[in-house]
Amino acid sequence: MLGMKTRKKSAMLLLTAVMSISLFGCSTNSTAGNAGQSAGEGSTAAAAQPTETAGGKLVLYSAGPQKLADNIVSGFTAKTGIEVEMFQGTTGKILARMEAEKSNPVADVVILASLPSAQALKADGLTLPYPEAANADKLNKDWSDTEGNYFSSSASALGIVYNTKLVSTPPTSWAELATPAWKDAVNIPDPTLSGSALDFITGYLSVNGDQGWDLLDSYKANGVAMAGANQEALDPVITGAKSIVAAGVDYMAYSSKDKGEPLDIVYPEEGTVISPRPAAILKSSQNVENAKAFIDYLLSDEAQKLVADAYLIPGREDIEASNRANLKDIPQLKVDWNWMSEHGDETAARFSEIFK
Amino acid sequence: MKPVVLDNNRIFRRVGVILALFLLTISIGVPLLLIFWQSVYPDGQWDWMAPIRTITGHHLSGVLLNSVWLGICVVAVTTLLALPLAWMMAKTRMGQHRWVDVILMIPFMTPPYIGSMGWILFMQKGGYLQQWVSSAEKWSELFFSFWGMVLIMSLHLFPFLYLLLRDALIRIGGNLEEAGSVHGAPAGYRFRRIILPLLLSSYGMGIMLVFVKTIAEFGTPATFGRRIGYYVMTSEIHKYISSWPIDFGKATSLASVLLSVCLVMWYMQSAMSRKFTYRLVGGKGQRSKRYSLRGGAGWLCGIYLAVLLILSVGIPYFSIIAASTMKLRGAGLSLDNVTLDHFRDLLSWGSVSMKAIGNSLGLSLAASTVAVVIGTGFALAIGKSSSFMQRVIDLFSLLPNTVPGIVMVVGLILFWNSPWMPVTLYNTYGMVVLTYVVLFLPYTVQYVKSSFTQIDGTLFQAGQVFGGKPLYILRRILVPLIIPGMLAGWMMTFTIATRELVGSLLILPPSMQTSATYIFAQFEQGQVSLGMAMAVVTVGMTVLMLLGIELLNSKRKWNAS
Repeated sequence: MLGMKTRKKSAMLLLTAVMSISLFGCSTNSTAGNAGQSAGEGSTAAAAQPTETAGGKLVLYSAGPQKLADNIVSGFTAKTGIEVEMFQGTTGKILARMEAEKSNPVADVVILASLPSAQALKADGLTLPYPEAANADKLNKDWSDTEGNYFSSSASALGIVYNTKLVSTPPTSWAELATPAWKDAVNIPDPTLSGSALDFITGYLSVNGDQGWDLLDSYKANGVAMAGANQEALDPVITGAKSIVAAGVDYMAYSSKDKGEPLDIVYPEEGTVISPRPAAILKSSQNVENAKAFIDYLLSDEAQKLVADAYLIPGREDIEASNRANLKDIPQLKVDWNWMSEHGDETAARFSEIFK
Repeated sequence: MKPVVLDNNRIFRRVGVILALFLLTISIGVPLLLIFWQSVYPDGQWDWMAPIRTITGHHLSGVLLNSVWLGICVVAVTTLLALPLAWMMAKTRMGQHRWVDVILMIPFMTPPYIGSMGWILFMQKGGYLQQWVSSAEKWSELFFSFWGMVLIMSLHLFPFLYLLLRDALIRIGGNLEEAGSVHGAPAGYRFRRIILPLLLSSYGMGIMLVFVKTIAEFGTPATFGRRIGYYVMTSEIHKYISSWPIDFGKATSLASVLLSVCLVMWYMQSAMSRKFTYRLVGGKGQRSKRYSLRGGAGWLCGIYLAVLLILSVGIPYFSIIAASTMKLRGAGLSLDNVTLDHFRDLLSWGSVSMKAIGNSLGLSLAASTVAVVIGTGFALAIGKSSSFMQRVIDLFSLLPNTVPGIVMVVGLILFWNSPWMPVTLYNTYGMVVLTYVVLFLPYTVQYVKSSFTQIDGTLFQAGQVFGGKPLYILRRILVPLIIPGMLAGWMMTFTIATRELVGSLLILPPSMQTSATYIFAQFEQGQVSLGMAMAVVTVGMTVLMLLGIELLNSKRKWNAS
């Protein structure tokens, strides 16, 4: 009996040893997870006393065009010497990752593609205000937080994107998409997956009230299909399976068009919604100084030029893009961001219920 | 002397069981418990009604029925596809063409959403088929229906069932059938009374895994299902996990329903398997009769194989390769629209894509090797599932296959990133390996178990009678007999790990990509051609590697049947 017990014990010991070798042995580059561990005892304490200054690293979670993010990161590193570790994904994926990491946050700065999401982060007390950010005063006031919780360094407008091989006279209003000419030929991005599509729908409803749903109901009746996130909705239009994306993000259309794909975009005359892309420092950040330097860089002339080159609308009002329609050329709906923020969930739910 | 040997064996086994239980608890049990904890403890308050409210307050029954119905139909179609093929490859001269096995692994290696994309690009309005054959306009869009989805998923999963069935048929060997024939049984009777009962245990395990894979699959419902408006449980779960507001509680409540369905399946399968497991690999040598297939039968088999290959590999890969070599996707199929630029971009030295490929290969090698070592241990500890504890291990080791990958991964993150852990593995290379091992452990366990349960105990007794010590018996009798199972498990883990997406998306450290996340990112970024090129490169590399292994393997003794 005694023999068996010691055997068990030694087996457990052996097991632990094997486990540590097989599991931890491979983690050669485990610095990312462990570096902040000792410093992160209390997130508020960490926020109060920045642990690092120049040099060091920054963890960035970024939604949106990857090339732009890559360019911004390399520009930032070249300027400050700070190494950036980046996770690239959609807004939904970034939020999911943040939720999973809730007890042990990793990210310092997030760039999202949806303003209401940033408002929610602020409301949950997850953001770190940085009102003294350089050039923050030049930002479009409607898109950024007055207390400096988030800064919209870029934006995209939503329009009617169409295949030029299939469409010779593009529709000029949102209502026209419900006419028989466009039966079964239109895609609309899924607002539960695309923050910008949700912005369009809630924005339209915030202007038109409950009557706004008539437009969406007539879309459904005309065979408008709900199709994934933005790129997924756009792809069938590029290949010609569908003719039009309603509420498509414009920078994707511009960049595809520039490559030579048969695409173009119109902004309906009754106005559209512009979807800002906010960046925020997280309160749990362990590299606060670096995070602040990053926000400063995002709002600098250099980075804003990169934004414009990526076919996005620069967040600063004093910088213009030469390759696309600028803010002043796009007819806008007078949307109510607070209403949109509050009614996002139920709108998305009702929309998916109708379009399923 | 004899009782001591037996005692040693028993202790050996018991230690194995305890070891396995411990490992499974920390790698699978605790993470899943944390998930359930989240579902009953939403917003920091204990609320055991929360999952029930989610399930009743959500139009769940329809979605659940959709999932189950899809699973049943896919099981039926995979059976139709796999059973005749398994018989051909086991019992006729066609079995000599070992390359067929490797080619048939291609669908399984292809990420499901890529395969679906291939079909969509081929069949849609203005798609490749219509560009080729303009008369197809009238019917090709009919493909976008429930049965189209069943076909896509079946073509993706049938190789899995086929391999299990073929191995089982080979093990049955020819002598039993010959015995039947000597006693005057006609072919139909022999099939019904000899082959079928002996096949049932492997078939049961196979269809259970196919069913579970189908209802836990996310890629095809997300690409094809969304397009035809067919929603299943995984799409609902994914919605709560990947879009604002994130609600792990709701997701886990739904996941627990999915899990329950899978557990019922598992219970039915294990009951059936206990009833129908027979010792097939005994001390006597085996001969198997191979039909030579002349004339009409041969043609029929050849045509069947050709059609199967065209559907499962030909069409999707035509689309994938076409899309990967297109200058402009809007310009369609034409020779002046062909370019190899995407491959050049992809394979330029030191590029992000090359690093992604390197990461994928390294991670998959590490994960499959660890999984084989641990999984074989588990399979041996489970043995013939005679004791309660062994059945518990069996169930636990199967769990990662029954829980949607994304739920398992969230559980692992919650566990390995919690503040009270002495070592946070999260955000390291080791975490990715651990995730892959946990996700794919069921494969090794099932493969090794399936070869182990059919070894006759008399072989070990014979070894003991001749004075073999346990280790010697292990080395000379057990290991050689289970090596094909281990190898199959290793290969399976490796091939799936190279394309694993859902877990990688959440778990890779920032700045690190694998080939699968690279492909996904390209799709998200609108660089479909680049993504498709990556799919061609990774699948191509894996195929070459498997062909190499197959070549080495065919020279070894244990595979000669």
